[in-house]
Amino acid sequence: MWILRLNMTDRTYRLEEVPAAYKNLGGRGLTSTMVHDEVPPLCHPLGANNKLVFAPGIVTGTAASTSARISVGGKSPLTGGIKESNAGSSWAQYLAMMQIKAMVVEGQPREKGKYWIAHLTWDAGAGKPKVEFSPADGYTARDLYEVFPNVYDRFGEGIAIAGCGVAGEYGYANSGIVYNDLAKRPSRYSGRGGLGAVLASKGLKFIVANRKGAPAVPIVDKGLFDQGKKKLDDALRTHAVTKPKGGLNTYGTAVLINIMNEAGGLPTRNFSSGRFEGAAKTGGEAIFEGNKARTNKEVYNHACSPGCIIQCSNTWYRPDGKEHTSCVEYESDWALGANCGIDGLDDIAEMVRLCNAYGLDTIETGTALAVAMEAGVIPFGDGKKAIGLVHEMGKGTPMGRVLGGGTEFTGKAYGIARVPTVKGQSMPAYEPRAVKGIGITYATSTMGADHTAGYTIAPEILSVGGKADPFSTEGKAALSRGFQATTAFIDSTGHCLFIAFPILDIASGFEGMMEECNGVLGTNWKSEDAAKLGAEILRKERAFNEAAGLSKEHDRIPEFMKYEPLPPHNQVYDVPESALDSVYGEL
Amino acid sequence: MEPMPTRIDVWLYGTLKHYGGEAAEGSFANLQPYLPDGSTLAVLLAYLKIPTEARGISFINGQLSAMPGLQPDLGHILRDGDRVALFDLRSMWPFQYRHGARMTEEMTQAMGNEKDSGLHHTYSKK
Repeated sequence: MWILRLNMTDRTYRLEEVPAAYKNLGGRGLTSTMVHDEVPPLCHPLGANNKLVFAPGIVTGTAASTSARISVGGKSPLTGGIKESNAGSSWAQYLAMMQIKAMVVEGQPREKGKYWIAHLTWDAGAGKPKVEFSPADGYTARDLYEVFPNVYDRFGEGIAIAGCGVAGEYGYANSGIVYNDLAKRPSRYSGRGGLGAVLASKGLKFIVANRKGAPAVPIVDKGLFDQGKKKLDDALRTHAVTKPKGGLNTYGTAVLINIMNEAGGLPTRNFSSGRFEGAAKTGGEAIFEGNKARTNKEVYNHACSPGCIIQCSNTWYRPDGKEHTSCVEYESDWALGANCGIDGLDDIAEMVRLCNAYGLDTIETGTALAVAMEAGVIPFGDGKKAIGLVHEMGKGTPMGRVLGGGTEFTGKAYGIARVPTVKGQSMPAYEPRAVKGIGITYATSTMGADHTAGYTIAPEILSVGGKADPFSTEGKAALSRGFQATTAFIDSTGHCLFIAFPILDIASGFEGMMEECNGVLGTNWKSEDAAKLGAEILRKERAFNEAAGLSKEHDRIPEFMKYEPLPPHNQVYDVPESALDSVYGEL
Repeated sequence: MEPMPTRIDVWLYGTLKHYGGEAAEGSFANLQPYLPDGSTLAVLLAYLKIPTEARGISFINGQLSAMPGLQPDLGHILRDGDRVALFDLRSMWPFQYRHGARMTEEMTQAMGNEKDSGLHHTYSKK
């Protein structure tokens, strides 16, 4: 395996042996370690000294199911801290198969406004990957749905693509990194934290990978790997949430719209209420039934990447039965729906499609729109005008650039106090005043407010239940710490975070995940090592953030949530700061 | 016939909408049946002809009252104006996204009695 470095100052590349210290790392563990080790914490995120690190997970590229994840890390233009954002795509598998453990994009071209394509192929003669750079002329300042077919035409069908849209080219702090899905759509995103702008700041538009001729990912102990894979597959196929035609496959992640709405925790109209009267028209059930009516058949969801058992990605169809967009995730559905007071799925789907086309993070886009609505730029609930504002983001108008700067930036531009961000990153779709446990994770995560930072995974966390009441404040803080650590580990394995659902409830599934990793690496990790290994990753992320100027005083929920009671439960966020500080204070 | 005194705001999601009869629209049904004073959730289910095992995640006034495999709410006495929401068995609500969410008193006790204080995503014994 190699560390591949692309130097965008002079468009050269070099392959390095993987240092011993990095051999057992992958995914988030590797991106965060390399960012910690190599990126000056005080650098400008869009300057020459920031680096972008791509790393497939430990088992990515093997036969392990639901494991085509790519982590990308760097200093975030949105938060000013470390960022790891991951996505599922065949691109991740191709990188791993080409023996690339990490790819580092560094330097910066002197010429502004010029973009390049890096073409990665396998040099069979040399037995290593090679890179060719070519100008990206003709591919920039365009809709990604138009550009992707051009890239396939030029480089061939057997490729996978990573890149950025116009949002990255404009330098937006809410721009994501796009990857292809299985239908060659530009729909898979490392969405959060503005890393699309970091890629664009390097003058890199696309990284095209063709794995033809590349060998398989090396596996030290194939028998152990196969044993682990079987255990995990069995868990994925039997758990109610992840099994075929189970919760995620039927209703997608948007199944949570109605659940959170009934719980009084669906942030509505810029976090001014926890219940939206139009929610039922936008939930996963409505998507399923709407598609059935429009296509005359039951439409179950599809995989975002090869080898996934869960298959949670949905498609929304137009009234004439033709595809409108994929995929309307829970967070996107909520951010562009309830949070903007919009109850029309066609309008929500159109905004999702535009975010894909322009290279925007759907969450940050929806929350910025809602702040603009609060400022009176357009009314809450006006889907057509909201679509117009997303177009302005795509065109780079002054209004679009304000929104592209993110939710906090939009709040400052319009003098709004109700701005739902932590460390500059907007909250996803779970109201901390209604679900106080996740509020602790939002406040303390190294990533800014992030719903994927704290999944309930590891069996050893369960012992916390014996020491402290998990529903007490002290217990919630302890659990958040454990959740964050084990999540950092799972983000390193290359598995989708949704395997967390079966492996918590089915112990053999958890063992299977560990055995897969041990099989690939030749390690001897036990289940209880997951949280320890994850905690090491968190310490590095935390150290980077502290050196970048993000201290425990930034581990706070927005002030308005402490004094504005949230309907319908009329609760404020009352978890004391001492509890928030204990999450990392006792790591 | 005089209307009965306790009126419940019922939301049935997904496949449960079919139990809402004419109130079913699209992917849900919203109806407001009257029940005798002092009726329990079990009485409501019987009125709607919903077998309790057909429902999954359930709420009473925004408080989680049941999960698949964990239904301590059958004896919960409903009050006039209560909002009851019932989901089909394909819905899900992972633990971390409900950690600290409001629960009925019966559900709080039931979770406390579960293995690992209920720190699981599902409770179905099947």
